[in-house]
Amino acid sequence: MNMISVRKLWKEYGDQVVLENVSLEVKEREFITVVGASGCGKSTFLRMLLGQETPTRGEFLIDGKPLPDEPGPDRGIVFQRYSVFPHLTVLENVMLGLELERAPLLGKLFGRKRGEIRERATAMLDEVGLYHARDKYATELSGGMQQRLSIAQSVIKQPRILLLDEPFGALDPGISADMHKLILRLWEEHHMTIFMVTHDIKEGFDLGTRLLVFDKARLDAQAPNAYGATITYDIPLHVTSQKMLQEMAEAKARTERFTDGLAAA
Amino acid sequence: MRRLLNLRPDRGSRLLLGLLPFVALLIVYLIASDMRLEENPNDKMLPAISTFADSIAQFAFQEDKRTGVITLWADTASSLQRLCIGLALAALGGLIFGILTGVLPYASAALSPLIAALSMIPPLAILPILFIIFGLGELSKVILIVIGVAPFVMRDIGMRVAELPAEQLIKVQTLGASTWQAVLRVVLPQMLPRLIDAVRLSLGPAWLFLIAAEAIAATDGLGYRIFLVRRYLAMDIILPYVVWITVLAFMMDLLLRMLSRKVFPWYQRA
Amino acid sequence: MRSFIRHITTLGLAAVLSTAIVPAAFAKDSFKVAWSIYVGWMPWDYAAKEGIVKKWADKYGIDIEVVQINDYIESINQYTAGAYDGCVMTNMDALTIPAAGGVDSTALIVGDFSNGNDGVVMKGSSDLAAIKGQKVNLVELSVSHYLLARALDSVNLQERDLTVVNTSDADMVAAASSADVTSLVTWKPQLAEIMGTVKGANLVFDSSKIPGEIIDLMVVNSATLEKHPELGKALVGAWYETMSIMSKDDEKGKAARTLMAEASGTDLAGYEDQMKTTKFFFTPADAVGFTTSSALVDTMKMVAGFSFDHGILGEGAKSADAIGMSFPGSVSFGDSANMKLRFNETYMKMAADGAL
Repeated sequence: MNMISVRKLWKEYGDQVVLENVSLEVKEREFITVVGASGCGKSTFLRMLLGQETPTRGEFLIDGKPLPDEPGPDRGIVFQRYSVFPHLTVLENVMLGLELERAPLLGKLFGRKRGEIRERATAMLDEVGLYHARDKYATELSGGMQQRLSIAQSVIKQPRILLLDEPFGALDPGISADMHKLILRLWEEHHMTIFMVTHDIKEGFDLGTRLLVFDKARLDAQAPNAYGATITYDIPLHVTSQKMLQEMAEAKARTERFTDGLAAA
Repeated sequence: MRRLLNLRPDRGSRLLLGLLPFVALLIVYLIASDMRLEENPNDKMLPAISTFADSIAQFAFQEDKRTGVITLWADTASSLQRLCIGLALAALGGLIFGILTGVLPYASAALSPLIAALSMIPPLAILPILFIIFGLGELSKVILIVIGVAPFVMRDIGMRVAELPAEQLIKVQTLGASTWQAVLRVVLPQMLPRLIDAVRLSLGPAWLFLIAAEAIAATDGLGYRIFLVRRYLAMDIILPYVVWITVLAFMMDLLLRMLSRKVFPWYQRA
Repeated sequence: MRSFIRHITTLGLAAVLSTAIVPAAFAKDSFKVAWSIYVGWMPWDYAAKEGIVKKWADKYGIDIEVVQINDYIESINQYTAGAYDGCVMTNMDALTIPAAGGVDSTALIVGDFSNGNDGVVMKGSSDLAAIKGQKVNLVELSVSHYLLARALDSVNLQERDLTVVNTSDADMVAAASSADVTSLVTWKPQLAEIMGTVKGANLVFDSSKIPGEIIDLMVVNSATLEKHPELGKALVGAWYETMSIMSKDDEKGKAARTLMAEASGTDLAGYEDQMKTTKFFFTPADAVGFTTSSALVDTMKMVAGFSFDHGILGEGAKSADAIGMSFPGSVSFGDSANMKLRFNETYMKMAADGAL
């Protein structure tokens, strides 16, 4: 069974159609990059995955069940900015997710229990190259380091899906390259499915196993909002195993079948 | 010669320039006081420095014959107690309601219009009502400060919560936080230094309400003393009290600023 | 030049200290007197509005501006600071504010005394002796405070037997409604309002038990009066013309009392109720009789004693006779080198003799 199934999904705000007739099947452990012009609905799509928005029509299923309508710990997120907590140190930022899980009332652990998670968090920081900065406040870090921290913060929760919303868009090119290595390594090691929205097409091709292009298939010059965007290209990339290639081909075929079916109807 | 707007005083002259108006003020006072005293040696409007010294000695260092306490310290203790309790309650209420309305859209829908309306009421205008409900004792004085200050703190904290990047609250939800945990670990700690800022801004109004409350019904306090001795125009007591209140207010502001720096080092950088 | 500099410096200070500090009037024949709302001083309002003051000022070739000041104490402070040549006040405030502040002042007109207009109220008890141990709300250091002291004398209690809570007169009615206020001292109209509306309020002592001790005066600066006797003549002339109008039971008298009532925020009935407990000296002869009596000297001695005990005779006052007071007939009391409060019947006598 596919992990994520999107079927004939529409999203409208009043008269404005943002997404129309989107269908998509995603298998576990894919690394999906999403590109498209600004305003093409790729961020709306990501927010739906996150649980911040609900579809107007159609289905958005995860493991065959409707997606929860609010954010949860199974789907981690790294935003372009502001996703680390300025009042916590680097180590505390990473420990937070584990503390929330184990201390429902105070959201904070003390003593031996704290020691245990401190070890795990320290190991995580080592993995993302922030061990040396563990006692600094998050806001003392550079932009790239803050993004490393935000990624570590999410990954330590072992989410099944990691959502990245233009995570490297504000970074210098040299730093982005390091971040690409880091995210690929974490993807391998932690068995996550990744959705990454980016405005950098090259980054999309370099990182993903599959690239989605969101665009408007129809356009009415008189009423630019009358038609929404959909997935216009769905391209497999860097496929290393024959089995995976085959699985993805099947997924793509299913996607097309739904789209065609809709067009026929 | 550079343009005037590019000329900057160095440290020494900055200090000197800052002192200058104070010195000028003092000199004008001394001249005017001297002239009035020459005309009427008993003049109370602008007393001489020596008169101030006597009065300060009498009020700040000698026990009052009738009450057996040192008047200035007793007044200061009473006033500070009222002020601190009032500010603490206002800060606590402001924090709780500010966070409630800032975090929960339902709470905001239910409470924000009420808080906005309440904050428009001039607290002094409802004093008679306060007297009837809370009596004339300590409670009504503290309540006046609370009513005067809390709505501002509530609205300020509510706005500061709203200013937190939405990303933070979403992120913490993806880390598994409940509403309560999100408030406790993300919103509340970030609001505390902002609360100190709000309290610092409220110090002026709080003093105003304190003095007003003490002027209306009291047995001691800095405002009580000023309004009592005003009855016989004792500027030799009123002016030192005013200076003392200014010093106290300044010190409180300074202490709060230092507290904020010490306890919330991350806040100064953000 | 000297006065110019003084003017400039004090003006600057006034701005800085936001207190109006204006030196005594310079203009030679223009004077300012201040009054505030109280039953005994409403005639000034009538006299000013009806042109009686102007008529008498014109007669003596001067200008007199009659200024209403909302805050009673502020009006006395302004007078003491030199902003006004004359001001209405009680005998006790005349002693403790201008006289203690070194401003030599003359009681030009003795207008009336409180004869029940000030009172001690207790809630739930009609026994004054039961006030022991209670909190008593009143305007501290005012005539209310003096009245309390005299009331306590009558039941052999002292001020230390209770706690005085300084309470603004404007808030006295609201205070009286509060449950934790059990006793208070105040004056009319608040007193009437409290007696009329507060459940269980008993009037346990009032100023009719100490007649002639709480006196309402028109006080003028002694130096100004000496230099400009025409000011005294004009004010006294205007006052007694007003007195004769308002004391009559004819249409004009009633109209006058109605105007005074409305200006003081009550109606004719309310004002006449206040007049009942206020002993007006409608004729100058009555006022002269009161001013020249030895009872006035005794009263002022008592007031000076009270003021000294409460530390309001000015700093450096070593005893109750630190401030000299003079009375008609070369009678005096206190430090003759520091003569600051003068009861002077001369001008009232002129009115009595029809010499104005």
